Amino acid sequence: MNMSTVRWEDSDLAYDSSNFVRGKGHFVDDIKLQGMLFMTVLRSPYARARILSLKGGMNSQDLGAKMASVGEGADPGAGISIEPVFATGFVNYVGEPVAAVFAEDRYKSTDLLESVEVDYEPLKPVVTMDDALAFGPIHEGMKNNILVEATKGDDFSDPKSPIVLEDTLENERVSTNPIEPRGIVASYADGILNVWISTQSVHSIKEGLVESLNLNPDNVRVMQADTGGAFGSKGGLYPEYVMASYASMKYRKPVKWIETRREHLTSTNPGRGVRSRVKIFAERSGKITGMKGDVLIDAGAYGSGIASFSAQFVAMMMTGPYSIEKAFVTGRSLLTNKVPQGPYRGAGRPEASFFIERMVDLLADEVNKDPADVRLLNTSDKPFNSPLGMKIDAARPFFESAIKELEYRKEAKMTKGVGVSFFVLVPAVYPGESARIMVRDGRIRVWLGGNSHGQGHEDFVKKLVNEELNVPGDLVTLYRGDTGMTKVGVGSWGSRSAIVAGAAVVSVCRKLKKDVEDDNGTYSYELLLAGSYDEFINEEKRMTLNSFGANLASVEVGKFGTVRVKKCLAYYDVGRALNKEMVIGQIQGGMAQGIGQTLHEGLFYNEDGQLITSSISDAGVPLAEDLPNFGVKIAENRSALPHGAKGVGESPTIGVPTALIRAIEKASGLRLRKTPVTAEDLMQ
Amino acid sequence: MHPSSFEYFAPARMEEALSLLSKHSGEAKIMAGGQSLIPLLKLRIASFPYVVDISRIEGMDQIKEERGFLEIGALTKISELEDSNIIKDKYQILHEAATQIADPLVRNRGTVGGNISHADPSNDIPAVVIAMKAKLEVIGRKEKRTLNADSFITDSFSTALEEGEILSKILIPIPDTRSGGCYIKQKKSAGDFSIAAIAVQMTLGDDYKVRSAGIGLTSVAPKPTRAVKAEQYIEGKRVDNSVAKEISKIVVSESDPSTDFYGTAEFKKKILGRIAEDAINLSYERAMVK
Repeated sequence: MNMSTVRWEDSDLAYDSSNFVRGKGHFVDDIKLQGMLFMTVLRSPYARARILSLKGGMNSQDLGAKMASVGEGADPGAGISIEPVFATGFVNYVGEPVAAVFAEDRYKSTDLLESVEVDYEPLKPVVTMDDALAFGPIHEGMKNNILVEATKGDDFSDPKSPIVLEDTLENERVSTNPIEPRGIVASYADGILNVWISTQSVHSIKEGLVESLNLNPDNVRVMQADTGGAFGSKGGLYPEYVMASYASMKYRKPVKWIETRREHLTSTNPGRGVRSRVKIFAERSGKITGMKGDVLIDAGAYGSGIASFSAQFVAMMMTGPYSIEKAFVTGRSLLTNKVPQGPYRGAGRPEASFFIERMVDLLADEVNKDPADVRLLNTSDKPFNSPLGMKIDAARPFFESAIKELEYRKEAKMTKGVGVSFFVLVPAVYPGESARIMVRDGRIRVWLGGNSHGQGHEDFVKKLVNEELNVPGDLVTLYRGDTGMTKVGVGSWGSRSAIVAGAAVVSVCRKLKKDVEDDNGTYSYELLLAGSYDEFINEEKRMTLNSFGANLASVEVGKFGTVRVKKCLAYYDVGRALNKEMVIGQIQGGMAQGIGQTLHEGLFYNEDGQLITSSISDAGVPLAEDLPNFGVKIAENRSALPHGAKGVGESPTIGVPTALIRAIEKASGLRLRKTPVTAEDLMQ
Repeated sequence: MHPSSFEYFAPARMEEALSLLSKHSGEAKIMAGGQSLIPLLKLRIASFPYVVDISRIEGMDQIKEERGFLEIGALTKISELEDSNIIKDKYQILHEAATQIADPLVRNRGTVGGNISHADPSNDIPAVVIAMKAKLEVIGRKEKRTLNADSFITDSFSTALEEGEILSKILIPIPDTRSGGCYIKQKKSAGDFSIAAIAVQMTLGDDYKVRSAGIGLTSVAPKPTRAVKAEQYIEGKRVDNSVAKEISKIVVSESDPSTDFYGTAEFKKKILGRIAEDAINLSYERAMVK
């Protein structure tokens, strides 16, 4: 393959989900190029240490670059706390890249790790968020370990309420653990850096490489390989991508790096890791009159992940779908000697929902009312602007039907261990998305600015093209993300693709239709396919959408503290479902992850900052035995968009943990404040 | 995924294996099913210049009753143990342990001898052979010797095997009538190691009093543990709920779990207490009807 002239005609750039079940996927690790080197990364064995001397491999003396902050929740202004590509002077988490070595195969490059000599002076690490507040800054030049501090709403003095409840609630960090770990092939030839990568966003990767390595954007092309899941972890830049790209330019050879599962656990940004003190004020009826929150985000060692954004994002959503008139929340992201925090399916939404839903359950118990009734009481039948900055549609009608659709009343009578949750998902619409459609040789070829990493975007693309242009779906091909084919673009995260990429596809289709009409005076798909057209649009969107959702869970708790999930039901407003089977599939997958987070998943560190979660099994990824038969119902209340879509991808990880933990709480009779809920917590 | 380089041998005969071990003394590692060794090698937690794969040696995978013993060849796969009709019918304790080891993929490759010789305190077979008072036959270049199951494993990942010796067979005394046993394993999720597990085997006299008992524990001490005091306490007694409770307390007092990823030491003791009570009751019930 001549790297500088990778053409869109190459059939292996097409995206087709059915490849995955036919064993025909084309992943990064399937790419083999002439003379390719394999990169292995030497990582810090210490959570915090001074590097006294460093010799061998490629290291910070060869490449002193800093990481650009790009992708979901990027914060370009993270200053001193920006991660270097190679550890410089200090290491700040176990697994931080210190040097890279290169050889013709993985065995040899792993052997070469021994050729790097590093002397460390171990320092006392800041491991927990409490440590972060109690001890001095981990980075020289900072005053303390507060990466960022945000407030939402206006402070108010505590009203004299009949009911005041306060609690501390927490989600442990969760490793994203897609089945395919991260990976990249970088190849520099004829002045062009070509990158193949497993990613949610080719444009973020390009932007990151261009900024970190100070490259001319015209000379960089990033192409997505088939991507075996991501769940948030593949939306942004990582040090290994910069190293591999730099090495391919330096050595003039293609360079491949494929993450091991162990590296994934230590060095890929995990999500959650959030705690909050929450106080609510309420009347005897169960009507909440005010809320105060103090949210802490475990940012990890650097501001390159999502932690800066998380502080204000979690704080903003703390009133959930409820009409709470007074609210004031502070959010602080705290630097600790752990791998930086990243987005994980929901990326702040599940955390905020966990805090409010746990408090509403506590309130229901306090006023001795059914939790569903307390929830309904606090929703409004009119749109509501929350004091924290959320725009909420009229919520009550949806939730009234949710209680019926989930048959909650019946379940609550029959079962002791039952929980229900309400939430509002606000998808990441801003700033929109791009799409390009090329018509040639009687076929339609489509590129999106954000790319599918397992969701099956091609289904909605085919459907929308068919609706707008009457073209049969089998003549439409979606291609994988490619910065060579879309000038600009955003990415797939935040439950956004069907909304914004869908809207962009609709707009491009309408442009094409007009082109055909201009040429022929009339439109038919035969005229379209007989012609040759190429249209691109970068569709800006900044509207706020609401996708309401509710879940029901019921459980039994055994004598060894084991939880058996009996029922796990969902009723979600997905807007117009562009493909019902895909929507239901996404919901089921997300429900499995919601169960995983609640029952098993966590990343645990000892007092030295060493990760004691040592395998994908330890990390608690849910197994078939954990899962009940899911019950999924969808409501299709169209959005204001031409194609009517709303968001869905993150709904289950928001709604399932809160319903499930309540069910366990009821079954066990123990107040539960933290995920994961372990057998040890429940064994009495 | 990428171990450091090693030289690999797969001898077809025992003598060849023994001579390779002797030739590369101190630098060679025996591999049977490889289900514990390969993960250690691929993560480079361990490395050896020579690996002697004994899985091709013939005649070491027998399951048969002979001269008063159930004889199990060390290379018997865990799945063969699981599928054996003799084991299913007469040795429930072994069948229950075998079916709960890891997952079918591991059981298809992993061997009984490897499960014991690896001496992982969380491996399941050691507690069972301790409870059944088995003898382990070991072959060296010069001699064959027999060790008691409870003295075979000396510490975490350490055995009484001398350099160059191979565990060849497990000899379990065929239980008398009115014998019964069970293996109860409490784990976080399917395929995982246990939080705690217990093997109990007992034989009753004509008066339904316990004539002899064996109790082995998994995952609750640096090595698989024989609960000697609990065994002594139960002998000569009929089991009822209060006896079972008392024994479970003694079992817990003989454990020495550590706090780790699977939970705190206190939690493991709590689990052990509950499964010990269940295991004593179940074994007694089974012995009564045999």
